[in-house]
Amino acid sequence: MIGIWRALRKRGVMGINQRNGDYVLRYNRRRLYPLVDDKVLTKERALTAGIRVPEMYAVVDSEHGIGRLAKTLAERKDFVIKPAQGAGGDGILVITDRFEGLYRTASGRLLSEDDIGHHLSGILSGIYSLGGHRDRALVEYRVTPDKVFGAISFEGVPDIRIIVLCGYPVMAMLRLPTRQSQGKANLHQGAIGVGVDLATGITLNGTWHDRVIQRHPDTANPVAGVQLPQWQEFMTIAASCYELTGLGYLGVDLVLDRDRGPMMLELNARPGLSIQVANDSGLARRCAVIERHMEQLEATGRTETVAERLQYCQQKFATGELSLASVPVSS
Amino acid sequence: MRGVKLHALLLALTLIAVGAGSAIYQVTVLNIPVSPSVTDPVWVIDARVQFRATANNPVKVQMFVPPGSERYLVLNESFISQNYGVNVARVGSNRQVTWSVRRATGEQTLYYRKMLSRRFGGEQVAVEMGPQFRARPALEGPERIAAEALLAPIRQHSADVDTFISETIQRVSNLQDENVGLLLANDTGIARRAQVIETLLAVAHIPVEQVHTLRLVASQSQTPELWLRSFNGTQWTYFNPATGDQGLPDDRIVWWIGATPVAQAEGASRPTVTFSITSSEVSAIQLAQESQIVRDSAKLSFSLYDMPVATQEVFSVMIMIPVGVLLILLLRNLIGLQTLGTFTPVLVALAFRETEVIWGIVLFTVITTAGLSLRSYLEHLRLQLLSRLSVVLTFVVILMALISLFGHKLGWERGLSVALFPMVILTMVIERLSIMWEERGGLNAFKAGIGTLVAATVGHLLMTWPPLMYFCFTFPGVLLVMAGIMLLMGHYRGYRLTELLRFRALAGKS
Repeated sequence: MIGIWRALRKRGVMGINQRNGDYVLRYNRRRLYPLVDDKVLTKERALTAGIRVPEMYAVVDSEHGIGRLAKTLAERKDFVIKPAQGAGGDGILVITDRFEGLYRTASGRLLSEDDIGHHLSGILSGIYSLGGHRDRALVEYRVTPDKVFGAISFEGVPDIRIIVLCGYPVMAMLRLPTRQSQGKANLHQGAIGVGVDLATGITLNGTWHDRVIQRHPDTANPVAGVQLPQWQEFMTIAASCYELTGLGYLGVDLVLDRDRGPMMLELNARPGLSIQVANDSGLARRCAVIERHMEQLEATGRTETVAERLQYCQQKFATGELSLASVPVSS
Repeated sequence: MRGVKLHALLLALTLIAVGAGSAIYQVTVLNIPVSPSVTDPVWVIDARVQFRATANNPVKVQMFVPPGSERYLVLNESFISQNYGVNVARVGSNRQVTWSVRRATGEQTLYYRKMLSRRFGGEQVAVEMGPQFRARPALEGPERIAAEALLAPIRQHSADVDTFISETIQRVSNLQDENVGLLLANDTGIARRAQVIETLLAVAHIPVEQVHTLRLVASQSQTPELWLRSFNGTQWTYFNPATGDQGLPDDRIVWWIGATPVAQAEGASRPTVTFSITSSEVSAIQLAQESQIVRDSAKLSFSLYDMPVATQEVFSVMIMIPVGVLLILLLRNLIGLQTLGTFTPVLVALAFRETEVIWGIVLFTVITTAGLSLRSYLEHLRLQLLSRLSVVLTFVVILMALISLFGHKLGWERGLSVALFPMVILTMVIERLSIMWEERGGLNAFKAGIGTLVAATVGHLLMTWPPLMYFCFTFPGVLLVMAGIMLLMGHYRGYRLTELLRFRALAGKS
């Protein structure tokens, strides 16, 4: 036990106590939390800051609004309905197509307008919100995952989590849904996490239920060695989310849309720690590097632009030791 | 950040120091027992006065009773005196009780009873001043020569009054000495020897007083032991006239001072007084709780024992809540046990007080399981959160009523112990569990439920452990120590035990 403790300390692995005390409590002011807890607020902020997010079609905040929604969505064939303050991906309804006045969901079920109205009123009454508060429903653009994930993903939309400390991306992870997670990209629910080299955007090994894995449990394809397209774009969006919210320790969730490219999906003020297993690297060590760097900058009275910050992180945290043997053919 | 850490550290250390200091002060200075099992002898001294009244005359009996002392605390003093009038008065440095009756005939018996405790000290008694000079008594003839022959070497072998007295006692104890023999006049009894010592010292202008003491050992009839005392200007020094030892041992109590007998009577035969002493072991803290006198003796005042007994009982439960909270804090932040919130396990532990552990666990499991299954059934009906929870809570009440009813029919007494408090807590647990189920999934809710049950059971056992309850209640400074530990835990940045397992994949190749 003491041996494990020492080894973890040596590698700079962050524990929950350390995350809460040294990072979340220190860098994230409580009054800024609503910005990340409410997806509508996050999206509005991102739009004014020019960060690309899935287009918002409508916000439903009253029973009255439910009736008008059909007219607003008349032109749309596919869309997603989400609770603004939902957690863990509950209450998300994905409509992929229309059929004879009915709506077809991602799983192929056909829903009537009334069914959708019922779902919406459920969201409003707070079935899916944290603590059961009254909530708003958000109707937005449906993300179509890029083909690059086809071989290593099972249903759903894979997303990319980047942990950002005061605007410096320190670690990234690709989250892939599995059969167990029922298409959700949530590690708690059985999705797998795959480390990503910050410098190149090439995937590393994965983690599933805190074990290190090499292959996707459903497709059996190796998860390492996949080049994520438009990686710099992802990094830039993540790094600018610091200015967007003012939260210093942030988990930024991004998706890669087939047509529109990288988009910011949501933010998390208490990002999980499994990302360390996926990257086989300690968060605390990387955060310490950034904190030292910021101290130096402060001493000289200099601030860095987003591009400079990216360059610094990519140079410092490049993995760069990917063995050729583990590079698979990404179909 | 570093400044804040130092601040918290200093605050924590101060709290711990103050809390521990107050407990140590209570133990060492106030002599409060560390454990409730510490017992203390309570001494019961009975003085029986017997005399024969001469036919139908007024009778007045006077007896010396002990004056107050700082060596012990008087728990109770009583005069068992039939139809006699009782009056207690101070006579010099003595206390004297006077029993009086208009008419009495035949054998008469009166009792005086005193109960003492040594642990909680006694009242503060101002040192009364004594004489330091005494006129030389008139001695004539051979006695004067013998006295002077004895005093000459004593004067040579002594340095001050105390050693002079010791030396005199030594000399008089040497019964072979001709001069001593002459002065004693064939009576070698201790009373006569004390008299001779007093006379000899008087020749040297040193006043001494006779002191009659009782020894605190269980005995049926004890003769008071004679001591001498002398005032040296600031305090009294006691001497044993038989051995010359200085200083009154701890187990002696002074009954009366002077050469007069303990009891005198008018209108009756000379009274005989017999002393019997018994002791009983009483839990020290029980003594403190039950005896108003002990509480008033200032050493226990400002403690929780000062409150009415009913309030004390509430507080003894309340004061254990921080213990439970500290336990949960340690279980969560050091071990990484998942529980439902911080206070829920403590509240469940409190609920176990009323249901008892085993039955409490059964009840907790059965009702929570039933409540959650009902919840997952209601999920199909697509009800709003509030109405769904209300239905669940109502069914929990119905379920509890059924359990109580069946328990009653089957003759389980426990079944009826489902009180209001545990019920409120159980419904709260179900609500929290179902919210967690929605947010984090069934597995996490299950883990948290088990964690809560484990934490509550450990917490309950700890919070009802009598030695700990006694300790926290008697030494409330412990609360400050706990607050200090909680403060320190607030800056704990180490791994949780479960994290060592979770991240062991990362530790493998360092």
